Amino acid sequence: MVVVMKERASGELVERVIAHLVELGMDVHRSTGASRVVLGVVGSGKVDPRLIEMMDGVHEVLRITEPYKLASRTFKPEDTAFNIGEVRIGGDEVIVMAGPCSAENEEQVNATASAVKRAGAKVLRGGAFKPRSSPYSFQGLGEEGLRLLENAANTHDLKLVTEVMDISQIELIDRYADIFQVGARNMQNFTLLRELGRTRKPVLLKRGISATIEEWLLSAEYVLSGGNTQVILCERGIRTFETYTRNTLDISAIPIVKQLCHLPVFVDPSHGTGRRDKVAPMARAAVAAGADGLIIEVHSDPDHAMSDGAQSLFPGQFDRLMAELRIIAPAIGRSICLEPVARRGWSA
Amino acid sequence: MAAELSLDALRDEIDKIDEVIVRLLDRRARCAYAIGRIKHEQGMGIYEPSREATVMGHVKAVNASLEGPLTADAIERLYERVMDEARRIQRIESERQSESKSDRNEQKQD
Repeated sequence: MVVVMKERASGELVERVIAHLVELGMDVHRSTGASRVVLGVVGSGKVDPRLIEMMDGVHEVLRITEPYKLASRTFKPEDTAFNIGEVRIGGDEVIVMAGPCSAENEEQVNATASAVKRAGAKVLRGGAFKPRSSPYSFQGLGEEGLRLLENAANTHDLKLVTEVMDISQIELIDRYADIFQVGARNMQNFTLLRELGRTRKPVLLKRGISATIEEWLLSAEYVLSGGNTQVILCERGIRTFETYTRNTLDISAIPIVKQLCHLPVFVDPSHGTGRRDKVAPMARAAVAAGADGLIIEVHSDPDHAMSDGAQSLFPGQFDRLMAELRIIAPAIGRSICLEPVARRGWSA
Repeated sequence: MAAELSLDALRDEIDKIDEVIVRLLDRRARCAYAIGRIKHEQGMGIYEPSREATVMGHVKAVNASLEGPLTADAIERLYERVMDEARRIQRIESERQSESKSDRNEQKQD
């Protein structure tokens, strides 16, 4: 930490700041310049930079280390990659997770799973417990939904990601899913994050609606500090003053997070925009910007979806998007579902 | 005197001076260490701004009397580093003494 004193702060004020820092067990390196004093502060003591900044005579306090440790590139310079069965997250291949917002019935789940598999998705997404903005909206099928999703994933050789909303659901969801999803609204549910840190199953951690990148990485730190190293970060749009889209998808977060942090970064263009016609352009931009994967809402019949129909792609649209991504990914040295599953599917 | 010597001779001279400086810094650090022990025993704080000001005033006065190329500001910057290290020596010693004291206390309880 660097403490910059105000110009012409009196010697007494400088001494008071040094005395306080020394008391906290820090080593202080004082540099006296022509008009102001700068203090270099190092050591393992616990110092709250905001409290130092409040002291008389202090102009500003600059933190030089990040508050997150295990998530940072300083701690682990190389990218984190891991396998879920044969699906490699964080590798060269851009992994696409797709499926309905929520599991509604067997037919809908199966038809959607079959369509996304044909188009090249590797993971089925789908909710059984839905955190809706209104308590009167459809809340999901619960365990029955998990059963439908697991069956569809197994039938179509897909992995399954589904949202866990509460620590009471961890054990149940663990039996069905391959990846725990933590939704944007739960990004700072630290009790849930700690508990997921004790599991040894990948966690897809969505960015909170108004979370800064630092807050997001600190949430990842909660999971990592429990010993669970398989965390996937997922940008899903943040709240801004723009009302045209549901959220503003923060594409710039992808290269920033990849610089600060070694974890794989996914993007959810469906919640990011909230509009079906904007999903494909944002998905293309995300892959071009270096995302390690996408999570996209696809519904076999979006017009009759029980939740998020407006942002769900028709299977045909998803298929087209995947074809476009197969052109974009190689341009930045990535691959994306090279086996043309789709073609085989259509000809059969 | 120094200005008339060759580059090699001047560099030899600097090496010899550095040896003396480091030996003197070592003597100074041993004093600081001993002072740290006394401060700890008497429950005094490590940082004593008035003493640091006295030290600074003293070295600046000595420097001024020599009328060499080092300005008062330059001596201040150099001595800030010296005092930073003295404080660090005293902090480490103080922490070590506190730890060994708490170890003894724990043993008593056992």
